[in-house]
Amino acid sequence: MDFKTLLKKDFVFLDGAMGTMLQAKGLKMGVAPETLNIEKPEWLIDIHRQYIEAGADIIYANTFGANRYKLGEYGYSVKEATETAIENAKAARGDSEVLIALDIGPIGQLLEPAGTLSFEEAYDIFKEMVIAGSDCDIIVFETMTDLYELKAAVLAAKENSSKPVVCTMTFEENMRTFTGCGISSMALTLEGLGADAIGVNCSLGPKELYPIVKELCSWTKLPVAVKPNAGLPDPVTNEYSVFPEEFAQLMKELAPLGVKMFGGCCGTSPEYIRAMRKSLADADYYNRAVKIPSACCCATNTVIIDQPRVIGERINPTGKKRFKEALLAGDIDYILGQGIEQIRAGADILDVNVGLPGIDEKGMMVRAVKSLQSVVDVPLQLDSTIPEVLEAGLRIYNGKPIVNSVNGEEKSLNSVLPLVKKYGAAVVGLCLDENGIPKSARERFEIARRIVSRAESIGIRREDVYIDCLTLTASAEQEGVTETLNAVERVKKELGCKTVLGVSNISFGLPAREIVNHNFLMMALTKGLDLPIINPNVETMMQTVRAYKLLANIDINSADFISHYGARKAEENKPRQESADLNLDKAIENGLKSEGARITERLLENMDAMDIVNNMLIPALDKTGADFETGKIFLPQLIQSAGAAQSCFEVIKNHLAKSGEKSESKGKIIVATVKGDIHDIGKNIVKVLLENYGYDVIDLGKDVDCQRVVDCAVENGVHLVGLSALMTTTLASMEETIRLLRENNVDCKVMVGGAVLTAEYAEKIGADFYAKDAKESCDIAKKVLG
Amino acid sequence: MKLTELDQSEAIRYLGYGSQKPDAKILALLNDCEKKLLECISPAYVYRVFDIAYDGGAVAVEGTSLKMEGGDICKHLEKCGKCVLMCATLSAGADRLIRRLEAEDMTEAVITDCLASAAVEQVCNMAEEEIKSELDDCFFTWRFSPGYGDFPIGIQKDFLEVLNAPKRIGVNSTESMILTPRKSVTAVMGISDTEIPKGRRGCVTCKLREKCIYRRKGERCGF
Repeated sequence: MDFKTLLKKDFVFLDGAMGTMLQAKGLKMGVAPETLNIEKPEWLIDIHRQYIEAGADIIYANTFGANRYKLGEYGYSVKEATETAIENAKAARGDSEVLIALDIGPIGQLLEPAGTLSFEEAYDIFKEMVIAGSDCDIIVFETMTDLYELKAAVLAAKENSSKPVVCTMTFEENMRTFTGCGISSMALTLEGLGADAIGVNCSLGPKELYPIVKELCSWTKLPVAVKPNAGLPDPVTNEYSVFPEEFAQLMKELAPLGVKMFGGCCGTSPEYIRAMRKSLADADYYNRAVKIPSACCCATNTVIIDQPRVIGERINPTGKKRFKEALLAGDIDYILGQGIEQIRAGADILDVNVGLPGIDEKGMMVRAVKSLQSVVDVPLQLDSTIPEVLEAGLRIYNGKPIVNSVNGEEKSLNSVLPLVKKYGAAVVGLCLDENGIPKSARERFEIARRIVSRAESIGIRREDVYIDCLTLTASAEQEGVTETLNAVERVKKELGCKTVLGVSNISFGLPAREIVNHNFLMMALTKGLDLPIINPNVETMMQTVRAYKLLANIDINSADFISHYGARKAEENKPRQESADLNLDKAIENGLKSEGARITERLLENMDAMDIVNNMLIPALDKTGADFETGKIFLPQLIQSAGAAQSCFEVIKNHLAKSGEKSESKGKIIVATVKGDIHDIGKNIVKVLLENYGYDVIDLGKDVDCQRVVDCAVENGVHLVGLSALMTTTLASMEETIRLLRENNVDCKVMVGGAVLTAEYAEKIGADFYAKDAKESCDIAKKVLG
Repeated sequence: MKLTELDQSEAIRYLGYGSQKPDAKILALLNDCEKKLLECISPAYVYRVFDIAYDGGAVAVEGTSLKMEGGDICKHLEKCGKCVLMCATLSAGADRLIRRLEAEDMTEAVITDCLASAAVEQVCNMAEEEIKSELDDCFFTWRFSPGYGDFPIGIQKDFLEVLNAPKRIGVNSTESMILTPRKSVTAVMGISDTEIPKGRRGCVTCKLREKCIYRRKGERCGF
């Protein structure tokens, strides 16, 4: 029997707990159960047999933790532990038609950004398990709480095996996993990646899982699997609270939701499976007829395209000198800042375009997506003309992104759509082809139809194709504006697709562009535009979207509109905080960011930028530094002042980028939190302060490989390296990094800091300086670099 | 389990204020950050009670492969026949918030980080009270954590496994034994049928007092 045939049955029965059964046989807690595959095969064969006798259609081989990280200390290889596990299952199966699942749980370490394991390493760990378990009938990933880890797992399975893949995740009563993954995000992402069945297991009993299963069933067309715990264990006796009869009854109540596969997790035994089979004998399978809406997501947030949703356009270097500069310098913080600003202004989705001649666009796309996803919780739209860049972004994206874009050209259709399908994304389809952008709405509609039909022919849902009818410039092709709008209307009505438009292009070459932009936006919205790509920081654009939602009866009771503008009048009447006598000095001392920026702008009108830096900003920073040292102000105030100075510097950088001048650099400094350590808040404070003093800071981040520090120092000719460690366990990597720097004769000084360090210890491990706080690191930099 | 307010005075201490009071602006920020933090955490803990046996320089946790080594933990548990192993966490929401704030506003990030450190301690206190109320007629030692004194921090990974903490409350450890989510704590409490003499806490009784790096800086590890 194969999995597909098995699914034709009304219900499919899975087995119950393995750990609980092994503990009953004498497994000590804390010992990897997989060691028993080799040491006590008879235990495993017996347990599998009991589950088969109880009526399981699929038994899970004892491979849950058979990964190289967890097996490390026991001296068994992944291959050995996995192969013996499947042999034991086969021995128990005998001639029966039961299927054997390669069971794979979480690796046991959190992935970045919460932990130190990279997505790529996680993929390798899962790949090794998948290959070792090639003798199984299906692959099951279970007890997953991190959608990102699960994505690595599913890719590893799909790319290294042709076996069906079942994924179950573990949710808490708040309908989220421990890492914050929501049910819709799970369903959208996994169905997109090609999972064959999805579901939930562990954490709670069947009663508590009911609302979670219900929600899941409304988000997927795939068969749903449920494997609950037998309630919760008692802390003293370790006995579980739900007994077989009750468990079976509660499981039966899940059947009307449309559940296909039933099993048990922690605390269950063959008795539970037997009782469940019996209770479900007179139940019928409910065939769900669900319609999955157009939607994209990150792990924590799903955006349903059931009303206009704003795509922020600002992460894009086109026509922005400061952005280009940041890209060339690899300044990821600048990109993050652009992202956060747009979300605050109201963006639902962020477009990410990092294409610039002279940079490694692929590497930058990966870095930008990973960094953005570690701090923002909106879905991203991956924007590039190069399929390899899109694929690199799609691969490491956590959730279901939008691809921007495919068009009607054969070459584009052939290269982009298969990527969209493989990684389960949504895609923007541009109404242009080999012959360029057609003039008429009719011709653009035809291209849209072609794109949709090609997408559907390879299994991409129509709901996941968003058509861009293309905005032309009104100043050049005035008659084309209505063609665009008419095309939007037809695509929406006749193809039933969602529509997207880059709006700002409409006013290119005209004065008072804002007026044209928001009026065109309103016209497009009334024609059915779903996804305007705009600059949400321009207030009139967001006002238009909110007003439209109010007038179109989408914003019920005008709640959203009132929450944004209800307090406006009061604010307008409030006197401006910035008084005449507020100078740069005071703004920095008091940590006033926007005031500092405004004053800097004013000063730049008749002062040289470097004069402002050297004669005003630096002295102000020196003063707060001195106040901190003497205990007049404390850490939060020091950082606030640094933040205000930072906003002044940003104004100056923008000014210099526009005028083409180069800002003076006082020298390069590397900062890094050492290998194994993930505490980087201290290092980040140091970075802000050093940047304020005019140093080019190369921030290598946290958990930085020792060799990488050496390579980066050599490559960039860096003369000062700052290392941070906060754990006694990671001081060794600090020492190792310093040793490597010395061994490679890198001409640099090293300063170290962190909670567990002392001046003596710093000296002992060969550092040149010990910085007791962020302020002192600036003093050291002055000493070394001037 | 739910936290409704955070121990700001503790956070202020972590921020380096000593006995001084922050100005109104920072106090207002503390309130903002407290609100944000409370909104995005889901505190949780897990514990189990085990019999313990003494084995030379270590305490064996019965029914598990766990051996707690070091003179300090042995001394800590010397009058006890059982112990509670516990793990508490603020959950991944705290890490996510702090990460976002680091990109948005460093001052808020630092303040929230300190509030979160205070918060996880509060969660431990609440957990301790709940555990004690579940176990009648017992006497308890205070909470002793891996990394205190000479109790090796290398035990974290196995400690979490025995509690099934990765599955139950989502707490893991990195290879450097850092708990993730970051604002998480593991601890051991001894249980005895008879009253346990108090007053053994602090550097005076610590085996590492001569070479302790915290102590040299005038700080404490929590022991």
